This record gives sequence, C-alpha cells and structure tokens, in this order.
Amino acid sequence: MNSIKVVCPFDSELIAGLEGQNLVVKVDDLSSAVAAAAAVANSRNRLICIQVETAERLDQLQFDESLTTTPLAVFPAAFGNFRQLTPQLSLLRQLNLRVYLGGDNRENLAGLRIMASLGIHGGVVLGPGPIDWEGLADLMTYAVLERTAHATIEPFSYIAGHYDPLSPLDWSAFYFEQPGVYLHLDKQGRVAFSRTELQSGRFFAESISACGEQANQRKIEQRRESWREFFLDNHPCASCVGWKLCLGKFAGRLPSDKGCVGFFEEMLELVRQYRRQCERTDKERPLWQP
Amino acid sequence: MANILLTNKCNRSCPYCFAKREMEESSEEDILSWENLIYIADFLKRSGQNRVSLLGGEPTIHPQFVDFVLYLLERGFDVTVFTNGILSPNRLAECREYLTKVRLDRLSFVCNLNDPVQTPAPPNESLRLQEFLSEMGPWASPGFNIYRLDFKLEFLFDHINRYGMKRNIRLGVAHPVPGKESGYIKPSGMRKVIRRLYAYRPLFDANRVSPGLDCGFPICKFTDRELGWLGRFPNPSHFSCGPAFDITPDMSVYHCFPLSNYKRRSLFEFDSMDQLFEHFAQLRQEVKSEMPGIFDECDACRYQESGVCSGGGLCQVLNRMVGEAPVRIAEVEHELDKSRMSV
Repeated sequence: MNSIKVVCPFDSELIAGLEGQNLVVKVDDLSSAVAAAAAVANSRNRLICIQVETAERLDQLQFDESLTTTPLAVFPAAFGNFRQLTPQLSLLRQLNLRVYLGGDNRENLAGLRIMASLGIHGGVVLGPGPIDWEGLADLMTYAVLERTAHATIEPFSYIAGHYDPLSPLDWSAFYFEQPGVYLHLDKQGRVAFSRTELQSGRFFAESISACGEQANQRKIEQRRESWREFFLDNHPCASCVGWKLCLGKFAGRLPSDKGCVGFFEEMLELVRQYRRQCERTDKERPLWQP
Repeated sequence: MANILLTNKCNRSCPYCFAKREMEESSEEDILSWENLIYIADFLKRSGQNRVSLLGGEPTIHPQFVDFVLYLLERGFDVTVFTNGILSPNRLAECREYLTKVRLDRLSFVCNLNDPVQTPAPPNESLRLQEFLSEMGPWASPGFNIYRLDFKLEFLFDHINRYGMKRNIRLGVAHPVPGKESGYIKPSGMRKVIRRLYAYRPLFDANRVSPGLDCGFPICKFTDRELGWLGRFPNPSHFSCGPAFDITPDMSVYHCFPLSNYKRRSLFEFDSMDQLFEHFAQLRQEVKSEMPGIFDECDACRYQESGVCSGGGLCQVLNRMVGEAPVRIAEVEHELDKSRMSV
C-alpha cells in the first residue's frame, strides 16, 4: 500500500480516519489551504500537497505568507491580467507552488510562459475540453529548449529530463491521475481509480482500508497495467510514434481530434534535441535555477 | 541597447517621421505578442543586457502596454518608453494606477514633443498630451526632432517647468530615409542647426536643463566653445552612429528605422547581441568603404578614423550616395532601386 497516493476532499473527519497515507487534499478555496494542511499534520498521514481548484482567475487569488510552508497545486480558472498579478509575484516565487492552467486557449498558454520566465512553476492541463495543440507545441519548445533560465512547465520539463528511449514514460502523476497509483476518495471515503470515475460514481472499493483486500489489490494491479489493453485491442495508439510518451491518454479524442499524433511526434524530436544539447555540453542543462 | 517595437500603428503623423516607410510597409494588425516579448527578453538577458526601449509606432497603443512594461521591469530591465504622450483616457488611467508606483530610475518616458506653433496638433491631442504630462511628467523627459532650420525650443523649457519633467532634452536631427522624401536636415544645414541650438544655451543654463544629442551630429560642425559646453553635462554627447537594433512585432531586426530595409533579418537567426552587432557592422563597413561620411572632408578625418565621429548618421551617408555616388553594393543598390520606384 505504500506506493498508493490518495486524493481526498478536505474533510477533517475523513482525514482523521485515515492512517499512514500519502495525501493530496482538495479544496475549492485558497483560504482553506492552511487549515487543510493543518488537518493532515494533526493526523497520522503525510501531506503531498494541497490541490486548490477554484473558479477564480489567478490574478484574483490572494496568496499570503501563511502559505509559505504549504505545498500547493493551484488550478485557477484562467491566468487573468498580468498587471493585477504583479504585486504578488515576489511571494509566488517564495511559495512551494505549481500553477496549472488549461491548455485550451492562448491566454493561458501565454500565462504559463510568463510565469515560467519569472521563476514560477506551472503545469498545463490537457483536456478534457479542447486543446490548442499548436500553441501547446510552442509552449513545449519554450519549456524544453529555451536556454535562458526559467521555471518548469509540466509535463514538458519532466519528460525532457526523464525520457528514456527504451521505456515508456508516464507523467500523469502531475495531475494526480497515475493509474493504480493515485486513488480518489469521496467524502464518504469510497475509492475510485480516477477523477472522472469519482465524479461519475464508479467506485471500486468502499474504503481505503478495503483496498488491501486481495480482490481490490488485483484491480489496482490491473489498472496499473491497463496500458496493455491498447496492444491487445490492436488500438491505433499502440502503433503511434508518440506512444511511449502519451500511453494512449488521448485515445478518447480520436478520430475527431488527431492533434495528439503530431504533437507527441514533435515532443519526441524536441526531447531528442534537448538530449543532444545536454550531451554536447556534457551535462544536463538545468531547466530552472533559483 | 535594443528597441522593441510594440506596434507599427501611430496616432500622430509628423512631417519628419522616419519610421513612416516601415509603418507603411507592415501589416496594420501587427502587434507584439507575449510569446515574442518573452523571447526578446530572454535573448537580451542572455546577451547581458539590462536596459530596453519600447517604441512604435506609438507603443502606448498596444493593448498590453502596461503589462509589458511591468513584465520587463519584473525581468530586471530598466525601461525607456518613446512616446508622443497622446494616450487614450483608459490607457492613461492604467499608467496612473500601475506605473506611477515604479521608481524613477527604473522607468522613464522620452516624450517626443512638437512645437505647437510650427507643427500644430488638433486641440484634443494637445489636451491629451497635457493630461499625460500632468500624470507622468516626473518620469518623462522631452524629446525633440529638428527637421527645419528655424526650429524653436522655448516651449520645451516651459513644459519641463510646468509638468516637473526630467531636466534633460533629447535632441535629434530628423533623418532621411534613403531614396524617400521626408522632412530632414541636409548636411549643408548642420552648422546652422548647431549654431541655433547653441543660441539656446542661456535657456538651458538658466533652467538647469542638459541637452542630450542623438545620433547624426558630426563633431566637425561644432566649435570648440560649443563642444566645451556640451562636455560639461553628466551624460556627454557622442557623435557616433551605433545601431539601435529595432526589433519589430514580427521579430524582424534592423539597424534603425531609416535603414529598415537594409540587411533586415529575423531575430531568430541570431543567438546573441554580439552576433547582431557583427551582422550590422558589415553593413556599416560596406557603406563606409564606399563613402566615409556626409562631407568630403570625412574621408581623411582623424575623428572619423578614431571612431569619435561617424561622419553623420549611416542613413545620411547612404542618402548621400543616392544622388552623388555610384553604388557598388548590390543589396544597397537593389533597395535604392525599389525606393526610387515607389517615390
């Protein structure tokens, strides 16, 4: 069970009822983040981070110094106005923070680039809505190949740093969605494999303690190996050049949106280019320097 | 230092505008994107640059003007904005809210002013200029382009005192666009301009204002007395013509506005400012080997040889070639031919 990570809503009773878990605690309001972190600290669990999903734009959020010791994954509705964000930039750089923005529009993609260039880590949310593949490819080029020091933009920086041509690379942990590793709890403590399954009420266990049962262990193991189904089903993703990096994450978009094919092909080329750069300089080029 | 052109649009039409050609030939929709701004900032940072100028067209027209200024400041650049001071009420309100908090040594405006009598503006433009200077005066110093021999400077001192502007006037001679018609100072008029400028010395001294000469003034047309006066100010005037490196919204880069069609390249072709310098030094070399300066005497001039003076601006030298000298530089000849056809 140690390799399992649990995503749960902020509910003091629920958290107190868990033991020995690695927790991602979800709140919908930044002002609850400190209390959520305290609830984990007062329980017998370990905090991975607080996931803040808010309907507010980033420039509307009020960060303060009490958050300095709280690891934060913030998912605002949009980037907003840079000018209104400016007074908070210095504080944002001091926080243990990653800001996630949707990859569906140019404003958000520009926002991620702005933040990275100013030393604030970011992540791009890929779906479930439309994805601007072209804009995303530009952002990826910046994240991976720009030589001037900048913060990371995930999953690109992670992929560039960890790509191995001989094995597939799963980067869904950035979204707390790695199959069979991140489990999602509702307020009653019922367990689902993914956020989508949680939202649609598809639970595979009644509680986290039930996950240790043999039948549920088998389900978890099956979910971890679920990528094999692409090959068993002879799915087009299995023969796609980008498979090692996407692992079929965008299969549901096919055939109407084939943007992922060109995108991951380009990503592979970029990663190889990044690796060649590193080899030439005989060291890994740091993607971010404090 | 690099000049970043935020937009090619301008809300004024000055008779001496040497950016007109560049603006006419570019798309009206061209405005600098966030992505390109960040690319430029990264390029300048890794080239060791810490100062940047924002130009246009009129840079304040750009919808993200205030955001761009704040971003560049956040990246550690000191920012100078070359503006005509004619801002919409909304843009002025944004400047008031966000830019008046910036330290005076980090942000400055050079406000290009026209003599209200010799180059009159519509009343609403004058009103907007007054409003801009009332808000941003302490961040701004006046700039003045000399395009006629009977220019007057009195109004500039009045503006400095009335709006609390910085006590420095940037003075430039309007440059020719080689092969194109525009209001500019011919080499034969240089001495007259300098004499007239020096006649304002009492006003400069009485108001404790320093003159700052932009490129294109040849040192030989100043008397020793005039040079002695100019040498007393903290930022001594120079008589060379260094490339300003204008970077356009579509990421083209060229030597300066009047020479926007010569050796123009994409910024993406270069890795650093050093490479840019090298590229445009070639243009200088080619032109100078044909014609050293705007006067015959430039050929054997010790100031020219030592680099103290560049014998007028490169655009002035090139413009002289059009009428007086056979052109043997293929690229220059080609560009001049195009210009002649369009005149």
